[in-house]
Amino acid sequence: AERTLARKATSLKQVVYGESTNNSTSMNEEYDSGEDDEDFFLPIEEQMKKQKSRHGPDDTMVDAEDCSKCVKLMSQKWNEKDNEEIRNRFVSGNLAKAALRNS
Amino acid sequence: MGKMEKSYKKLKGSASFRQRLLLSTLSSTPIIIEDIRPSKTDPGLRKHEVSLLRLFDTVCDGCSVVINETGTKLKYKPGIIMGGRINYPHDCGVSRSIGYFLEPLIVLCLFAKEPLTITLKGVTNDSKDPSIDTFKSAAFHILKRFGVDFEALSLKIESRGLPPNGGGEVVLSLPIVQSLTAVNWIDEGFVKKIRGVTFSTKVSSQFESSMIRAARGIINPLVSDVHIFTDHRSGPPAGNSPGYGISLVAETTSGCYISVDTAAYHGKDEDTSGFADDVKKDLMPPEDIGEGIANVLLGEIAQSGVVDSTYQGLLFLLCALCPQDISKIRIGKLSQYGIETLRNIRDFLDVKFDIKPDPDTQSVILKCIGCGMKNLSRKVT
Repeated sequence: AERTLARKATSLKQVVYGESTNNSTSMNEEYDSGEDDEDFFLPIEEQMKKQKSRHGPDDTMVDAEDCSKCVKLMSQKWNEKDNEEIRNRFVSGNLAKAALRNS
Repeated sequence: MGKMEKSYKKLKGSASFRQRLLLSTLSSTPIIIEDIRPSKTDPGLRKHEVSLLRLFDTVCDGCSVVINETGTKLKYKPGIIMGGRINYPHDCGVSRSIGYFLEPLIVLCLFAKEPLTITLKGVTNDSKDPSIDTFKSAAFHILKRFGVDFEALSLKIESRGLPPNGGGEVVLSLPIVQSLTAVNWIDEGFVKKIRGVTFSTKVSSQFESSMIRAARGIINPLVSDVHIFTDHRSGPPAGNSPGYGISLVAETTSGCYISVDTAAYHGKDEDTSGFADDVKKDLMPPEDIGEGIANVLLGEIAQSGVVDSTYQGLLFLLCALCPQDISKIRIGKLSQYGIETLRNIRDFLDVKFDIKPDPDTQSVILKCIGCGMKNLSRKVT
Protein backbone atom coordinates (compact mmCIF):
# COMPACT_ATOMS: atom_id res chain seq x y z
CA ALA A 1 0.00 0.00 0.00
CA GLU A 2 2.82 2.35 0.77
CA ARG A 3 4.33 1.81 -2.59
CA THR A 4 1.15 2.61 -4.43
CA LEU A 5 0.77 5.70 -2.37
CA ALA A 6 4.27 6.80 -3.21
CA ARG A 7 3.60 6.21 -6.86
CA LYS A 8 0.41 8.18 -6.64
CA ALA A 9 2.30 11.03 -5.12
CA THR A 10 4.74 11.18 -8.01
CA SER A 11 2.06 11.94 -10.53
CA LEU A 12 -1.18 10.19 -10.94
CA LYS A 13 -1.99 12.29 -13.89
CA GLN A 14 1.10 11.07 -15.64
CA VAL A 15 0.13 7.51 -14.94
CA VAL A 16 -3.23 8.04 -16.56
CA TYR A 17 -2.51 10.40 -19.39
CA GLY A 18 1.21 9.99 -19.90
CA GLU A 19 2.59 7.77 -22.63
CA SER A 20 2.83 4.06 -22.24
CA THR A 21 2.86 3.26 -18.60
CA ASN A 22 3.71 0.02 -17.02
CA ASN A 23 1.08 -0.17 -14.36
CA SER A 24 -0.81 -3.16 -15.59
CA THR A 25 -2.03 -3.71 -12.09
CA SER A 26 -4.64 -6.35 -12.30
CA MET A 27 -6.11 -7.68 -15.41
CA ASN A 28 -3.40 -8.09 -17.98
CA GLU A 29 -1.07 -10.08 -15.87
CA GLU A 30 -3.88 -12.24 -14.76
CA TYR A 31 -4.67 -13.34 -18.25
CA ASP A 32 -1.17 -13.57 -19.56
CA SER A 33 0.55 -15.59 -16.93
CA GLY A 34 0.40 -19.27 -16.28
CA GLU A 35 0.11 -20.52 -19.81
CA ASP A 36 3.74 -20.95 -20.58
CA ASP A 37 3.54 -24.69 -20.91
CA GLU A 38 0.96 -24.42 -23.60
CA ASP A 39 3.06 -22.19 -25.80
CA PHE A 40 4.17 -25.24 -27.66
CA PHE A 41 0.71 -25.87 -28.99
CA LEU A 42 -0.04 -22.35 -30.04
CA PRO A 43 0.15 -21.09 -33.57
CA ILE A 44 3.26 -19.11 -34.35
CA GLU A 45 1.48 -15.80 -34.38
CA GLU A 46 0.28 -16.22 -30.86
CA GLN A 47 3.66 -17.30 -29.64
CA MET A 48 5.13 -14.23 -31.23
CA LYS A 49 2.50 -12.09 -29.68
CA LYS A 50 3.14 -13.53 -26.28
CA GLN A 51 6.82 -12.88 -26.62
CA LYS A 52 6.16 -9.37 -27.71
CA SER A 53 3.61 -8.68 -25.04
CA ARG A 54 6.07 -9.62 -22.39
CA HIS A 55 8.29 -6.79 -23.46
CA GLY A 56 5.96 -4.12 -24.71
CA PRO A 57 3.12 -3.26 -22.39
CA ASP A 58 1.32 -1.45 -25.18
CA ASP A 59 0.58 -4.63 -26.99
CA THR A 60 -1.20 -6.20 -24.10
CA MET A 61 -3.38 -3.16 -23.72
CA VAL A 62 -4.62 -3.32 -27.27
CA ASP A 63 -6.59 -6.47 -26.63
CA ALA A 64 -7.13 -6.07 -22.91
CA GLU A 65 -10.30 -7.62 -21.63
CA ASP A 66 -13.22 -5.24 -21.40
CA CYS A 67 -14.30 -5.82 -17.85
CA SER A 68 -15.05 -3.38 -15.06
CA LYS A 69 -15.16 -5.79 -12.17
CA CYS A 70 -11.68 -6.78 -11.16
CA VAL A 71 -12.37 -7.77 -7.59
CA LYS A 72 -11.14 -11.20 -6.75
CA LEU A 73 -12.79 -13.21 -4.10
CA MET A 74 -10.72 -13.91 -1.00
CA SER A 75 -8.14 -11.43 -2.16
CA GLN A 76 -7.93 -9.79 1.21
CA LYS A 77 -8.45 -10.92 4.75
CA TRP A 78 -9.10 -8.57 7.59
CA ASN A 79 -7.09 -9.36 10.63
CA GLU A 80 -7.06 -7.72 14.02
CA LYS A 81 -4.53 -5.11 13.04
CA ASP A 82 -6.61 -3.73 10.22
CA ASN A 83 -9.72 -3.85 12.29
CA GLU A 84 -9.26 -0.46 13.86
CA GLU A 85 -8.97 1.20 10.48
CA ILE A 86 -11.99 -0.50 9.00
CA ARG A 87 -14.01 0.04 12.16
CA ASN A 88 -13.66 3.77 11.80
CA ARG A 89 -15.38 3.58 8.46
CA PHE A 90 -18.56 2.47 10.19
CA VAL A 91 -20.99 4.48 12.29
CA SER A 92 -20.16 2.17 15.16
CA GLY A 93 -16.52 3.25 15.04
CA ASN A 94 -14.71 6.21 16.49
CA LEU A 95 -16.36 8.99 14.54
CA ALA A 96 -14.32 11.79 16.06
CA LYS A 97 -11.10 10.13 15.06
CA ALA A 98 -12.32 9.32 11.60
CA ALA A 99 -13.67 12.81 11.12
CA LEU A 100 -10.21 14.23 11.59
CA ARG A 101 -9.10 13.05 8.21
CA ASN A 102 -12.09 14.51 6.50
CA SER A 103 -11.47 17.99 7.77
CA MET B 1 -14.75 9.90 -50.32
CA GLY B 2 -11.37 10.89 -49.01
CA LYS B 3 -13.03 13.54 -46.97
CA MET B 4 -15.43 11.03 -45.49
CA GLU B 5 -12.67 8.67 -44.50
CA LYS B 6 -10.87 11.43 -42.76
CA SER B 7 -13.63 12.02 -40.26
CA TYR B 8 -13.42 8.44 -39.00
CA LYS B 9 -11.49 8.05 -35.81
CA LYS B 10 -8.99 5.22 -36.12
CA LEU B 11 -8.54 2.83 -33.24
CA LYS B 12 -6.81 -0.46 -32.70
CA GLY B 13 -7.55 -3.62 -30.79
CA SER B 14 -10.45 -5.01 -28.87
CA ALA B 15 -9.82 -3.13 -25.63
CA SER B 16 -12.48 -0.80 -24.27
CA PHE B 17 -14.86 -1.94 -26.97
CA ARG B 18 -17.97 -0.89 -25.08
CA GLN B 19 -16.74 2.54 -24.13
CA ARG B 20 -15.49 3.22 -27.61
CA LEU B 21 -18.91 2.45 -29.04
CA LEU B 22 -20.63 4.42 -26.32
CA LEU B 23 -18.46 7.50 -26.60
CA SER B 24 -18.47 7.31 -30.37
CA THR B 25 -22.26 7.37 -30.35
CA LEU B 26 -22.59 10.10 -27.74
CA SER B 27 -20.07 12.34 -29.43
CA SER B 28 -21.27 11.43 -32.96
CA THR B 29 -17.76 10.39 -33.90
CA PRO B 30 -17.60 7.61 -36.47
CA ILE B 31 -14.87 5.07 -35.71
CA ILE B 32 -12.82 2.41 -37.38
CA ILE B 33 -11.36 -0.26 -35.15
CA GLU B 34 -8.63 -2.33 -36.71
CA ASP B 35 -6.60 -5.29 -35.52
CA ILE B 36 -9.29 -6.85 -33.39
CA ARG B 37 -7.51 -9.93 -32.07
CA PRO B 38 -5.77 -10.51 -35.40
CA SER B 39 -3.38 -13.20 -34.20
CA LYS B 40 -5.71 -15.20 -32.02
CA THR B 41 -6.67 -18.70 -33.06
CA ASP B 42 -10.23 -17.41 -33.31
CA PRO B 43 -9.69 -13.89 -34.56
CA GLY B 44 -12.07 -10.99 -34.64
CA LEU B 45 -15.08 -9.85 -32.73
CA ARG B 46 -16.56 -12.02 -30.04
CA LYS B 47 -20.20 -13.03 -29.87
CA HIS B 48 -20.97 -10.60 -27.09
CA GLU B 49 -19.37 -7.74 -28.98
CA VAL B 50 -21.49 -8.45 -32.03
CA SER B 51 -24.51 -8.67 -29.77
CA LEU B 52 -23.62 -5.29 -28.29
CA LEU B 53 -23.42 -3.81 -31.77
CA ARG B 54 -26.85 -5.22 -32.47
CA LEU B 55 -28.15 -3.71 -29.25
CA PHE B 56 -26.78 -0.30 -30.23
CA ASP B 57 -28.43 -0.72 -33.60
CA THR B 58 -31.71 -1.54 -31.84
CA VAL B 59 -31.83 1.56 -29.70
CA CYS B 60 -30.40 3.89 -32.34
CA ASP B 61 -31.69 4.98 -35.70
CA GLY B 62 -29.55 5.07 -38.77
CA CYS B 63 -26.26 3.74 -37.52
CA SER B 64 -24.13 1.80 -39.90
CA VAL B 65 -21.96 -1.15 -39.02
CA VAL B 66 -19.53 -2.75 -41.40
CA ILE B 67 -17.43 -5.71 -40.32
CA ASN B 68 -14.86 -7.37 -42.52
CA GLU B 69 -14.88 -11.07 -43.26
CA THR B 70 -12.67 -12.15 -40.39
CA GLY B 71 -14.22 -9.73 -37.95
CA THR B 72 -10.91 -8.05 -37.25
CA LYS B 73 -12.00 -4.70 -38.62
CA LEU B 74 -15.06 -2.72 -37.70
CA LYS B 75 -16.40 0.45 -39.21
CA TYR B 76 -19.05 2.10 -37.10
CA LYS B 77 -21.00 5.22 -37.86
CA PRO B 78 -23.30 6.22 -35.03
CA GLY B 79 -26.91 7.14 -35.58
CA ILE B 80 -29.45 8.98 -33.49
CA ILE B 81 -30.23 7.54 -30.08
CA MET B 82 -33.94 6.73 -30.13
CA GLY B 83 -34.68 4.65 -27.06
CA GLY B 84 -38.42 4.07 -26.70
CA ARG B 85 -40.24 0.87 -25.99
CA ILE B 86 -38.48 -2.03 -27.66
CA ASN B 87 -41.08 -4.70 -28.28
CA TYR B 88 -38.88 -7.68 -28.89
CA PRO B 89 -36.32 -8.93 -26.37
CA HIS B 90 -32.62 -8.56 -27.03
CA ASP B 91 -30.62 -11.74 -26.72
CA CYS B 92 -27.34 -10.98 -24.97
CA GLY B 93 -26.01 -14.48 -25.44
CA VAL B 94 -24.15 -16.34 -22.75
CA SER B 95 -20.54 -15.34 -23.31
CA ARG B 96 -20.93 -12.27 -21.11
CA SER B 97 -23.60 -11.37 -18.63
CA ILE B 98 -26.32 -8.75 -19.04
CA GLY B 99 -24.28 -6.44 -16.82
CA TYR B 100 -21.75 -6.14 -19.62
CA PHE B 101 -24.48 -4.70 -21.84
CA LEU B 102 -26.11 -2.58 -19.17
CA GLU B 103 -22.97 -0.64 -18.35
CA PRO B 104 -22.89 1.25 -21.65
CA LEU B 105 -26.65 1.08 -22.22
CA ILE B 106 -27.68 2.96 -19.09
CA VAL B 107 -25.43 5.86 -20.05
CA LEU B 108 -26.28 5.86 -23.73
CA CYS B 109 -30.03 5.89 -23.40
CA LEU B 110 -30.11 8.76 -20.92
CA PHE B 111 -29.57 10.83 -24.03
CA ALA B 112 -32.23 9.12 -26.12
CA LYS B 113 -35.25 10.65 -27.74
CA GLU B 114 -37.68 8.72 -25.61
CA PRO B 115 -37.37 6.76 -22.36
CA LEU B 116 -36.15 3.25 -22.97
CA THR B 117 -37.92 0.06 -21.99
CA ILE B 118 -36.24 -3.10 -23.12
CA THR B 119 -36.14 -6.78 -22.25
CA LEU B 120 -32.70 -8.33 -22.11
CA LYS B 121 -32.12 -12.06 -22.12
CA GLY B 122 -29.02 -13.90 -21.06
CA VAL B 123 -26.91 -14.28 -17.94
CA THR B 124 -28.02 -12.21 -14.97
CA ASN B 125 -25.30 -13.15 -12.50
CA ASP B 126 -21.73 -14.26 -12.97
CA SER B 127 -18.42 -13.48 -11.39
CA LYS B 128 -17.04 -11.35 -14.20
CA ASP B 129 -19.48 -8.49 -14.69
CA PRO B 130 -21.51 -6.50 -12.19
CA SER B 131 -24.69 -8.40 -11.48
CA ILE B 132 -28.24 -7.28 -12.01
CA ASP B 133 -28.62 -6.93 -8.25
CA THR B 134 -25.80 -4.42 -7.88
CA PHE B 135 -27.14 -2.38 -10.77
CA LYS B 136 -30.29 -1.95 -8.77
CA SER B 137 -28.58 -1.38 -5.44
CA ALA B 138 -25.59 0.74 -6.49
CA ALA B 139 -25.47 1.92 -10.11
CA PHE B 140 -28.94 3.46 -10.04
CA HIS B 141 -28.00 5.46 -6.97
CA ILE B 142 -24.98 6.82 -8.83
CA LEU B 143 -27.23 7.93 -11.69
CA LYS B 144 -29.51 9.59 -9.18
CA ARG B 145 -26.63 11.78 -8.00
CA PHE B 146 -26.34 13.20 -11.47
CA GLY B 147 -29.96 14.24 -11.58
CA VAL B 148 -31.48 11.18 -13.23
CA ASP B 149 -35.07 10.57 -12.12
CA PHE B 150 -34.61 7.70 -9.66
CA GLU B 151 -38.30 6.79 -9.58
CA ALA B 152 -38.28 6.15 -13.30
CA LEU B 153 -35.37 3.74 -13.12
CA SER B 154 -36.36 0.14 -12.86
CA LEU B 155 -34.85 -3.24 -13.45
CA LYS B 156 -37.08 -6.20 -13.02
CA ILE B 157 -35.70 -9.71 -12.83
CA GLU B 158 -38.22 -11.95 -14.55
CA SER B 159 -35.92 -14.92 -14.38
CA ARG B 160 -32.36 -15.47 -13.33
CA GLY B 161 -29.81 -17.06 -15.57
CA LEU B 162 -26.37 -18.32 -14.73
CA PRO B 163 -23.54 -19.48 -16.94
CA PRO B 164 -23.06 -21.61 -18.88
CA ASN B 165 -26.60 -21.75 -20.27
CA GLY B 166 -28.14 -18.49 -19.13
CA GLY B 167 -31.88 -18.22 -19.52
CA GLY B 168 -32.25 -15.06 -17.47
CA GLU B 169 -34.56 -12.24 -18.41
CA VAL B 170 -34.70 -8.70 -17.10
CA VAL B 171 -36.78 -5.68 -18.03
CA LEU B 172 -35.02 -2.34 -17.91
CA SER B 173 -36.75 1.02 -17.82
CA LEU B 174 -34.61 4.09 -18.13
CA PRO B 175 -35.65 7.74 -18.10
CA ILE B 176 -34.07 10.39 -20.31
CA VAL B 177 -32.40 13.60 -19.27
CA GLN B 178 -31.93 16.93 -20.95
CA SER B 179 -28.54 17.15 -19.37
CA LEU B 180 -26.90 15.76 -16.29
CA THR B 181 -26.06 17.73 -13.16
CA ALA B 182 -22.48 18.19 -12.08
CA VAL B 183 -21.64 16.78 -8.66
CA ASN B 184 -19.49 17.72 -5.74
CA TRP B 185 -19.25 14.30 -4.22
CA ILE B 186 -16.32 13.85 -1.90
CA ASP B 187 -17.96 12.91 1.39
CA GLU B 188 -17.92 9.15 1.56
CA GLY B 189 -19.55 9.12 5.01
CA PHE B 190 -19.70 6.19 7.39
CA VAL B 191 -21.30 2.86 6.73
CA LYS B 192 -24.61 2.74 8.54
CA LYS B 193 -26.21 -0.33 7.09
CA ILE B 194 -25.59 -3.32 4.91
CA ARG B 195 -28.16 -4.74 2.56
CA GLY B 196 -27.86 -7.64 0.28
CA VAL B 197 -29.53 -10.40 -1.61
CA THR B 198 -28.61 -14.00 -2.16
CA PHE B 199 -30.02 -16.20 -4.85
CA SER B 200 -30.06 -19.85 -5.72
CA THR B 201 -31.21 -21.37 -8.95
CA LYS B 202 -31.97 -25.04 -9.35
CA VAL B 203 -30.22 -25.84 -6.08
CA SER B 204 -31.35 -26.02 -2.46
CA SER B 205 -32.11 -22.73 -0.73
CA GLN B 206 -29.87 -24.02 2.06
CA PHE B 207 -26.94 -22.60 0.12
CA GLU B 208 -28.34 -19.13 0.67
CA SER B 209 -28.59 -19.42 4.43
CA SER B 210 -25.03 -20.72 4.56
CA MET B 211 -23.75 -17.75 2.57
CA ILE B 212 -25.69 -15.32 4.75
CA ARG B 213 -24.45 -16.88 7.96
CA ALA B 214 -20.84 -16.72 6.81
CA ALA B 215 -21.11 -13.14 5.58
CA ARG B 216 -22.83 -12.04 8.77
CA GLY B 217 -20.06 -13.58 10.82
CA ILE B 218 -17.71 -10.97 9.42
CA ILE B 219 -20.02 -7.99 9.05
CA ASN B 220 -22.13 -8.13 12.18
CA PRO B 221 -19.34 -7.20 14.63
CA LEU B 222 -18.93 -3.95 12.67
CA VAL B 223 -22.50 -2.92 11.99
CA SER B 224 -25.72 -4.22 13.41
CA ASP B 225 -28.13 -3.05 10.72
CA VAL B 226 -27.72 -5.93 8.31
CA HIS B 227 -30.47 -7.36 6.14
CA ILE B 228 -29.73 -9.91 3.49
CA PHE B 229 -32.72 -11.05 1.51
CA THR B 230 -33.07 -14.36 -0.23
CA ASP B 231 -34.30 -15.10 -3.71
CA HIS B 232 -34.71 -18.79 -4.27
CA ARG B 233 -35.73 -19.75 -7.76
CA SER B 234 -36.90 -22.96 -9.26
CA GLY B 235 -38.69 -23.86 -12.45
CA PRO B 236 -38.59 -21.45 -15.40
CA PRO B 237 -37.62 -18.33 -13.34
CA ALA B 238 -34.42 -20.14 -12.39
CA GLY B 239 -33.08 -20.10 -15.91
CA ASN B 240 -31.11 -22.95 -17.41
CA SER B 241 -28.17 -23.49 -15.10
CA PRO B 242 -27.73 -24.32 -11.42
CA GLY B 243 -25.78 -22.09 -9.06
CA TYR B 244 -25.92 -19.58 -6.27
CA GLY B 245 -24.50 -16.21 -5.39
CA ILE B 246 -24.67 -13.12 -3.27
CA SER B 247 -24.54 -9.39 -3.64
CA LEU B 248 -23.93 -6.96 -0.80
CA VAL B 249 -24.20 -3.21 -0.63
CA ALA B 250 -23.04 -0.90 2.13
CA GLU B 251 -24.98 2.33 2.52
CA THR B 252 -23.20 5.23 4.14
CA THR B 253 -24.47 8.21 6.12
CA SER B 254 -23.79 10.47 3.14
CA GLY B 255 -25.75 8.30 0.74
CA CYS B 256 -22.97 6.41 -0.97
CA TYR B 257 -23.50 2.83 -2.00
CA ILE B 258 -20.58 0.43 -2.05
CA SER B 259 -21.42 -2.84 -3.72
CA VAL B 260 -19.86 -6.21 -4.34
CA ASP B 261 -21.23 -9.41 -5.81
CA THR B 262 -20.24 -12.83 -6.98
CA ALA B 263 -21.73 -16.11 -8.07
CA ALA B 264 -20.81 -19.78 -8.09
CA TYR B 265 -21.76 -21.91 -11.05
CA HIS B 266 -20.42 -24.64 -13.26
CA GLY B 267 -18.17 -23.15 -15.88
CA LYS B 268 -17.99 -24.20 -19.43
CA ASP B 269 -15.05 -26.53 -19.12
CA GLU B 270 -14.43 -28.42 -22.31
CA ASP B 271 -12.11 -30.84 -20.57
CA THR B 272 -14.71 -32.74 -18.64
CA SER B 273 -17.75 -32.44 -20.82
CA GLY B 274 -16.29 -34.82 -23.33
CA PHE B 275 -15.96 -37.63 -20.84
CA ALA B 276 -18.82 -37.80 -18.44
CA ASP B 277 -21.46 -35.37 -17.38
CA ASP B 278 -21.18 -36.47 -13.78
CA VAL B 279 -17.58 -35.44 -13.46
CA LYS B 280 -17.91 -31.81 -12.59
CA LYS B 281 -15.70 -29.62 -10.57
CA ASP B 282 -17.17 -28.82 -7.20
CA LEU B 283 -18.42 -25.30 -6.76
CA MET B 284 -16.88 -23.05 -4.19
CA PRO B 285 -18.67 -23.84 -0.92
CA PRO B 286 -21.28 -21.26 0.14
CA GLU B 287 -19.45 -20.58 3.38
CA ASP B 288 -16.36 -19.51 1.47
CA ILE B 289 -18.42 -17.38 -0.89
CA GLY B 290 -20.15 -15.59 1.98
CA GLU B 291 -16.94 -15.04 3.87
CA GLY B 292 -15.00 -14.03 0.79
CA ILE B 293 -17.54 -11.52 -0.44
CA ALA B 294 -17.82 -9.95 3.00
CA ASN B 295 -14.06 -9.50 3.02
CA VAL B 296 -14.13 -7.97 -0.42
CA LEU B 297 -16.84 -5.58 0.76
CA LEU B 298 -14.71 -4.52 3.71
CA GLY B 299 -11.83 -4.00 1.32
CA GLU B 300 -13.98 -1.72 -0.82
CA ILE B 301 -15.23 0.16 2.24
CA ALA B 302 -11.67 0.64 3.48
CA GLN B 303 -10.75 2.39 0.24
CA SER B 304 -13.12 5.19 1.23
CA GLY B 305 -14.31 6.19 -2.21
CA VAL B 306 -17.82 7.37 -2.93
CA VAL B 307 -18.32 4.39 -5.24
CA ASP B 308 -16.81 0.92 -5.33
CA SER B 309 -14.04 0.09 -7.74
CA THR B 310 -16.40 -1.58 -10.22
CA TYR B 311 -18.37 1.59 -10.88
CA GLN B 312 -15.43 3.97 -11.20
CA GLY B 313 -15.81 3.89 -14.96
CA LEU B 314 -19.49 4.78 -14.79
CA LEU B 315 -18.75 7.61 -12.38
CA PHE B 316 -16.06 9.11 -14.61
CA LEU B 317 -18.26 8.87 -17.69
CA LEU B 318 -21.13 10.65 -15.97
CA CYS B 319 -18.83 13.40 -14.71
CA ALA B 320 -17.42 13.95 -18.18
CA LEU B 321 -20.89 14.06 -19.74
CA CYS B 322 -22.05 16.83 -17.40
CA PRO B 323 -22.67 20.41 -18.49
CA GLN B 324 -19.66 22.67 -18.36
CA ASP B 325 -19.49 22.78 -14.58
CA ILE B 326 -16.88 21.42 -12.26
CA SER B 327 -17.44 17.97 -10.82
CA LYS B 328 -15.38 16.82 -7.88
CA ILE B 329 -15.35 13.22 -6.73
CA ARG B 330 -13.48 10.94 -4.36
CA ILE B 331 -12.58 7.39 -5.21
CA GLY B 332 -10.45 4.71 -3.64
CA LYS B 333 -7.62 3.22 -5.62
CA LEU B 334 -7.80 3.93 -9.33
CA SER B 335 -8.66 0.67 -11.04
CA GLN B 336 -7.21 -0.38 -14.36
CA TYR B 337 -10.65 -0.07 -15.87
CA GLY B 338 -10.96 3.39 -14.37
CA ILE B 339 -7.69 4.45 -15.97
CA GLU B 340 -8.85 3.07 -19.31
CA THR B 341 -12.07 5.03 -18.96
CA LEU B 342 -10.21 8.26 -18.27
CA ARG B 343 -8.13 7.74 -21.40
CA ASN B 344 -11.16 7.02 -23.55
CA ILE B 345 -12.91 10.09 -22.21
CA ARG B 346 -9.91 12.18 -23.14
CA ASP B 347 -9.79 10.69 -26.63
CA PHE B 348 -13.46 11.16 -27.46
CA LEU B 349 -14.73 14.04 -25.37
CA ASP B 350 -11.49 15.94 -24.88
CA VAL B 351 -12.12 16.10 -21.15
CA LYS B 352 -9.12 15.73 -18.90
CA PHE B 353 -9.46 15.08 -15.21
CA ASP B 354 -7.36 16.67 -12.55
CA ILE B 355 -6.20 13.79 -10.40
CA LYS B 356 -4.77 14.31 -6.95
CA PRO B 357 -4.20 11.82 -4.18
CA ASP B 358 -5.63 12.83 -0.86
CA PRO B 359 -2.65 12.72 1.48
CA ASP B 360 -4.69 12.03 4.61
CA THR B 361 -6.38 8.96 3.27
CA GLN B 362 -5.62 6.43 0.61
CA SER B 363 -8.22 7.93 -1.64
CA VAL B 364 -7.94 10.02 -4.77
CA ILE B 365 -9.76 13.24 -5.62
CA LEU B 366 -10.68 13.85 -9.24
CA LYS B 367 -11.95 17.04 -10.78
CA CYS B 368 -13.16 17.76 -14.24
CA ILE B 369 -15.20 20.18 -16.28
CA GLY B 370 -17.96 18.40 -18.17
CA CYS B 371 -18.03 18.33 -21.95
CA GLY B 372 -21.41 20.06 -22.03
CA MET B 373 -23.34 17.08 -23.34
CA LYS B 374 -26.94 17.90 -24.14
CA ASN B 375 -29.70 15.60 -25.21
CA LEU B 376 -30.25 16.71 -28.76
CA SER B 377 -32.55 13.88 -29.76
CA ARG B 378 -35.10 14.74 -27.12
CA LYS B 379 -38.29 16.35 -28.30
CA VAL B 380 -38.49 19.97 -27.28
CA THR B 381 -41.80 20.74 -25.69
